[in-house]
Amino acid sequence: MSKIQIRKDTAFIEEFQNKLENEGPFSSWELFQMNYQAEATAMTPTFNGLRALDYLPHVEFLPHQLQTAKQAIEEMNGRAILADEVGLGKTIEAGLILKEYMIRGLVKKALILVPASLVSQWAKELNEKFYIPAISYRKSYNWEQVDILISSIDTAKRSPHQEQILDINYDFVLIDEAHKLKNHKTKNYEFVRALKKKYCLLLTATPVQNRLIEIFNLVSILKPGHLGNYESFLEQYGKDRKNIKQDAFLKQLVQKVMIRNTRKGTELSNTHRNIETVWIDFTEKENAFYQELDQLTGTFQTFAKITLLREICSSREACFLSLKKMTENGTANDALYQSLMRKIEELPNHSKAEKAVEIIKQNPDEKVIIFTEYRASQLYLQWYLQQNNITSVPFRGGFKSGKKDWMKQLFKNHAQVLIATEAGGEGINLQFCNHLINYDLPWNPMRIEQRIGRIHRYGQEKDVHIYNMAIRGTVEEHIMNLLYEKINLFEQVIGNLDMILAELNITDIEAELQSIFSESTSTGEAKIKLDNLSSVIKYTHDSTVSEENQYGN
Amino acid sequence: MAIEHLNDFLQNYFTAHSCDLLHNQDGVLTVQLTEKMDRALMNRPFYWHYVKSTGFAGEPMKLTLITNPDKRDEKGDWIHFGSPRLQQLFTHLHTNEKYTRLFQKIDTTAKLALYPWLVINIKISYVGKQKKDEIISIGLHLVNGMMKTEMMDYLKTLPLQMTISDYCFTISPLIKVSSGFKRIEAVLENYIENQTFEWADESVKTLNEEIKMLKHFYSDRMDEENLERKMEQEIDEIINRYQPHVSFRVINGGIFYLNDDPALTIQ
Repeated sequence: MSKIQIRKDTAFIEEFQNKLENEGPFSSWELFQMNYQAEATAMTPTFNGLRALDYLPHVEFLPHQLQTAKQAIEEMNGRAILADEVGLGKTIEAGLILKEYMIRGLVKKALILVPASLVSQWAKELNEKFYIPAISYRKSYNWEQVDILISSIDTAKRSPHQEQILDINYDFVLIDEAHKLKNHKTKNYEFVRALKKKYCLLLTATPVQNRLIEIFNLVSILKPGHLGNYESFLEQYGKDRKNIKQDAFLKQLVQKVMIRNTRKGTELSNTHRNIETVWIDFTEKENAFYQELDQLTGTFQTFAKITLLREICSSREACFLSLKKMTENGTANDALYQSLMRKIEELPNHSKAEKAVEIIKQNPDEKVIIFTEYRASQLYLQWYLQQNNITSVPFRGGFKSGKKDWMKQLFKNHAQVLIATEAGGEGINLQFCNHLINYDLPWNPMRIEQRIGRIHRYGQEKDVHIYNMAIRGTVEEHIMNLLYEKINLFEQVIGNLDMILAELNITDIEAELQSIFSESTSTGEAKIKLDNLSSVIKYTHDSTVSEENQYGN
Repeated sequence: MAIEHLNDFLQNYFTAHSCDLLHNQDGVLTVQLTEKMDRALMNRPFYWHYVKSTGFAGEPMKLTLITNPDKRDEKGDWIHFGSPRLQQLFTHLHTNEKYTRLFQKIDTTAKLALYPWLVINIKISYVGKQKKDEIISIGLHLVNGMMKTEMMDYLKTLPLQMTISDYCFTISPLIKVSSGFKRIEAVLENYIENQTFEWADESVKTLNEEIKMLKHFYSDRMDEENLERKMEQEIDEIINRYQPHVSFRVINGGIFYLNDDPALTIQ
């Protein structure tokens, strides 16, 4: 081959001559030697291997995470799609890769684009776990000034940010939730392709949601031409996703740029999920009130009615607060509301809360997390547990991060129970706990997975126990039976749900359910519609899973 | 010559910076910083600005550095090779300890000549698809042109100080420092060129493959705007990522005045 290019250091000798002319200042022998020692310690003597591990003795990586980082660097040369299933640690893998490049001096300038809600979590993880000085974008910053910057893609692509960013030569670009880039006609896609980048990681749990062309688009960000050009790709594989099954060659090509670990293939499957549905019957009084709410027509908008029904299944307080708010807004019949509110006040302790206490008392030495959808229920439970001599701490998404850490510590060291509201679900990891009560079920099953993911993740050493509470003869029963149980949600579908919903063109399953209930004239009709929905989900799941397996490594 | 014992390294570092070691047991070291080191390491310019403006002396902080992993939960900074504090000390060393001029310490009553050596410690990085480093320490006798590698290992065996000993005098260099440096560079270049370059060949191969794929990718997209510019940019990215090269970076260097030692063999 031709002569290799050598880049010399010209700065040193010039400056040294200055020092000699000025008679110093010079280093002492000890410090001069120490600088040399420090360099000898920090250098990387081999092309291969993860030098970063020497720098991160406090992090325990799982074998698949190490393997992924090595593969992305050594075989894929730093441009890869990391497509692990949810909860296997894509962030960890990406952090490790970035750290390795930084230690080797190959990356100085990096841009990390993640969903707005995850910006601070990424910053925390990179700083605390990896000692990577990543900074979240703030208005006062100039994109050029900060070396490792985290931002949402929406901020970054806005003018004048976009123009500034596109002028910068990045050594490393990371896109989280990259499946949002699947369509090459979108602004986001154009923007990411236009970034000047050396290494690039795309993170997504669902690399192909609908059509094969999506994987073509993702790969084209990393390695244009790897899957041919647009025309030849369409010609060969069509827009029909079924073709990938037959095409071992395409699968092989994709595997050269994509790494996908599944729960089954990793050590995480060593700890099991025991899932138990806990059925509860309302007391007569409670039931009477529920029925009264359910019978109401006219004055209530159906939407409001469903909310109230769900709330009374959680706590008197949640329902009461909503009613009170409605009166204050003056939306309808005052007398009716007043009478409902009086009746609520007469209700005894909530049957569900009693059952929750029973479960906690059966596991006196175990830490338990309770998730509820409602702030009012959270407060009520806190009070009710205290009445039963059970120690608990509250947790909400709105807490400042210092307070979150404090509550987590309190829970770990001093309390038996942590009561969290939905928004508290993200961004807290509680592997030391392995009992979780879903006090009321969210209508979006993905949120259930996020809840469980708080405790069932790497670092969990015991089997986890999940208790799903539902009250018989109520809206909860329909959701539980027809949606969750029928599709075997907890056991099977959850990892693929994102993909299934996209396939079905359902962008918001919660809204979908809402409309089923509000547009049905009878409970029977709602049931049938729910049943249909679950059948479709189940069918799509069964037909895609076998195919999904074909991608796995 | 890498660091073997972090605790020793830290001790030496702070001693060399005139900080008192208050406590040192079982891998837990507490040092009293001087004002200079507090300013360099503790990142509190406002404190110092405020103190100085009120006319007080200021109180430098104490620092506890834990190198024993069993004690890492105690109060203080846990120091390991990746810890931010150690990286900070490294950076402080890299920026401040680059240049020196030292004299061999000799106890003599007769007049004695010391000969100038240019010593260069250099990090060579080989960058292709991946990257690796090598450190070379090289010395050049600035009077007779003799060259020696592993110079730091040799120097370690000598007593060295910043001032010249009594009765000693220095011989002026015949080779200028700048031409001496060029000679060292030439030797290193020669050393590089005599190596095999499988890593570089592989990298070039991948580079060519990816450019070929890229051109194919764009072959059916003639209708898009800015096509040329886009493709050029992506070609640049590929070159930037794969173009193999070797880079030199001087870690530090200096002039060492040594009494010629017959044990010093030419390599």
